[in-house]
Amino acid sequence: MAVDRRGFLKFVAGATTGVLATPVPWKLLDDASIWTQNWSWIPRNVDGANSYVSTISKLCPSAAGMKVRLVGERPVRVLPDDNHPLSMGGITALAVAEVQLMYSPSRVKRPLKHAGDGAYVAISWEEAEKMLKENLRRAGSKVAYVSGDETGTINELLSGMAKESGSEDFYVMPSEVQPAALAFASMNGKGQLGYDIENSDYVFAIGANILESWGTVLRNRAAFKKSHPAAKKPTVKFVYAGPVQNNTAAGADEWLPAKSGAEAIVAMGIANLLIKSGATINAPDFAEFKALAAQYTPQKVAALAGVAPAKLKAIAAELSKAQRPVVLTGSEFGQGTGVATVLAGTAVNMLLGSFGREGGVKALPLAPKVIASGMDRSESAQKDLVAYLSRISAGKVSKPRAMVFYEANPVYGLPQPAAMAKVMDKVPFKVAFTSFLDETAKACDLILPTPLGLERFDDVETPYGIGQAFYSLARPVAPCVIDGKPAADVLLSVATQLNMDLGFATFEEILQAKAEAAGADWDSLMEGEFFTSDAVAEQSNLRIAADVIGKALAAAPKAAKLSIAPVQKLSLGTPNTAIPPYNNKTIRRWELQKNEMYVAMNGATARELGVVKHDRIKLSNSSGSIQARVNIFEGVMPNTIAVLMGFGHTAFDEFSKGKGENVMELLTVGYEAGTGQSVWNVAGVNVSKA
Amino acid sequence: MQTKEFTIKWGMAIDLDKCTGCGACMVACQAENNLAPIADASNKIKVMNWITVYELSNGKPYPEHDVAYLPRPCQQCGHPPCVSVCPVIATDKNEEGGIVSQVTPRCIGCRYCMAACPYHARYFNWRDPVWPGGLEKALTPDVSVRPRGVVEKCTFCHHRWMAAKDKAIVEGRDPMDLAEGEYVTSCTEACPNGAITFGDLNNEEHEVAKLASSKHAHRLLERLGAHTQVYYVSRREWVLRQLDNYLEDEKVKG
Repeated sequence: MAVDRRGFLKFVAGATTGVLATPVPWKLLDDASIWTQNWSWIPRNVDGANSYVSTISKLCPSAAGMKVRLVGERPVRVLPDDNHPLSMGGITALAVAEVQLMYSPSRVKRPLKHAGDGAYVAISWEEAEKMLKENLRRAGSKVAYVSGDETGTINELLSGMAKESGSEDFYVMPSEVQPAALAFASMNGKGQLGYDIENSDYVFAIGANILESWGTVLRNRAAFKKSHPAAKKPTVKFVYAGPVQNNTAAGADEWLPAKSGAEAIVAMGIANLLIKSGATINAPDFAEFKALAAQYTPQKVAALAGVAPAKLKAIAAELSKAQRPVVLTGSEFGQGTGVATVLAGTAVNMLLGSFGREGGVKALPLAPKVIASGMDRSESAQKDLVAYLSRISAGKVSKPRAMVFYEANPVYGLPQPAAMAKVMDKVPFKVAFTSFLDETAKACDLILPTPLGLERFDDVETPYGIGQAFYSLARPVAPCVIDGKPAADVLLSVATQLNMDLGFATFEEILQAKAEAAGADWDSLMEGEFFTSDAVAEQSNLRIAADVIGKALAAAPKAAKLSIAPVQKLSLGTPNTAIPPYNNKTIRRWELQKNEMYVAMNGATARELGVVKHDRIKLSNSSGSIQARVNIFEGVMPNTIAVLMGFGHTAFDEFSKGKGENVMELLTVGYEAGTGQSVWNVAGVNVSKA
Repeated sequence: MQTKEFTIKWGMAIDLDKCTGCGACMVACQAENNLAPIADASNKIKVMNWITVYELSNGKPYPEHDVAYLPRPCQQCGHPPCVSVCPVIATDKNEEGGIVSQVTPRCIGCRYCMAACPYHARYFNWRDPVWPGGLEKALTPDVSVRPRGVVEKCTFCHHRWMAAKDKAIVEGRDPMDLAEGEYVTSCTEACPNGAITFGDLNNEEHEVAKLASSKHAHRLLERLGAHTQVYYVSRREWVLRQLDNYLEDEKVKG
């Protein structure tokens, strides 16, 4: 039978219909799609029993309380802890990545020695300890210790070792802690300033980036959460004064634009208005303060800080009306602020009657030190690392023969880092106790891997910002995944070999003693509980320290025509952690493209500079220079350039290294008149097309 | 086409006045759902995030400028545009709860669903998932790792619902009557500002149901009629106007 064209087409159409009507092609397609995804190199899920361990983050500066989920013995997730006073059901973008950071490609996996040719040589712990001991012995009293831990008792151990060897050179990496401690000390205060945000009915943050980088951020956010019920009017007004509409400004009910570094001036402007409306302080130097504050009229504050007079008056009036207002002062990027800023803010709290009152500012008692030769927190706050390195650079003090860095990354994290690194280069022997191969570790002769907070015992005592005394243990939730040793154990062993008497044989004994000194129950702490206390430190002869404020403000540098405003985000990590692997997806489109960073300015500033979005520019000043592209963002004050922190790492891994540039290069160190404290929250900059 | 209705309708209300764009939800989502990290995350078209936080601006110059942040998970549409275009029925909306499913092994990577989704909530897996340095040891056992070449999206942490139901069954309770908070998504749980509220939109006792009926609640591109199960709450009119591309002379409903 002949098949004609029509018959052939009918057959093809029929066959096609028949085939499609059967499940065969669909099943084959389904199977094909399944089997083509069956790739051997893709990890398989590993199941196991679930368990949860409560602990506290030593990685996140906000000391996040958290629950760690374990599957079998593997930690897989960090989850919020509803019952923790420093977490209250939330987690930060940094702490939530902490389990994953255990496996970060930039972790130091074993002790390393820097060979002469620049390479790293793996060595045993015995050899490492021997090298450390010999170099510390050789250095004698010419040794300096630098800590990146603000809240741990290990600082007593480090400072104790320094003192036992005859050195006074123990430093903590600069933060909000030092200016606050110095400010309170100059007021004759005892204890640590604490802020009872939870019970306040009006929160005015001057510079202090309270929802991102200032103090115990998660606790601050919990207070914000509670006072801002969804779809309803807030019960507490949050006002943020700063140069950039940053994360805190985005959540605040009102953003008060104020120049970077002008926090004390804003506070004095408020103080002036409060005094005019009849507020007073029972302090011996109130008359002096009153005369000083009178100089800061709304017009002067407008000229110096860029704050609209009407807005300043409105906020002063609202503060007066509030029942339990609290004023928080600090730097918008968590460092570099002066003592006068904290003093002026505390004076405003005193004028509002908020000092010592619920919902205001409290003086928190700190546990006494347990290592006799160590420094307590108020002593270590007097030690200014930036000033120390600058004095070495100027030849005013001799350089140490050895430097010990404990989880500190000054080569990246200090202002004018290149200059600071140059000073450290001159030190013959440097050792880094670190979890990650960071910039400082790369500059060291010996790199000693430390377990992360999830892999070791450690403690947290009353972080700056919290409104009540606090003590908690960080507990090892899993075995250490590298060949690491807790720095405290290594140092105690070396100290013993150097015949130092620190009074303790193990770090656990030190922690036990500290817990007891804090009034906490060791057994409860070991079960993941925490200690809090509403006790306050008794004060006597409290003054405003008007003379200190006056001197500092009189000599304050005038703001440059064009200044930079660093912006800090916890999601981009810290100098110690860099950008965690999961977190670079949170970087916005016009913050980073490939390895090029963007800086933000408003349209008027861009027009004045003759630049448009995406233009490549060079920002420079006497400290250094960086290159970036332009983003236009109207939430930046005029003549201000917002620069994101956390970029420009030259160490760590593919998730951080080489991305953008380090804003710290542009931050110029100055010294506050009256206190001598190093400050770097005001930086002028020149812009040219690159 | 009718909106699919269920006894339970899991939904989310996101308060845009409370979100400050911190990114905790995005990181928590990646860790919970085993998304691979990526060294260069600047190409936002080819980088996968099951939830993305967008920055909104009121468009006014300084000092009148205002900013808001908009977290955008899969909107779990009532009648999802992605479902009808899938040639292999890899995505569907049939299960109780109203979560739009995505069966990864069945997906042939044609990306019709991505073209159909008006929210850009679906992501094509352009790259082999790689966990350098032993990061795969922190993978959760709950969500399978997906290969390159398939489409992914937020599932409202569906595995957590399964776990909550299992728990209820073991305890002798009705798995279809979970109390508020027994099942929440990872992003909801992580948000330190409490900007995200999760629960049953059909249960008037659940906070999310109350928020969804608030006069301040709107849905994203609501006029497309996708009947999404994610509601956005804001007391700022300029924010609400941007959710559905309102014209200047149009009045925002509500």
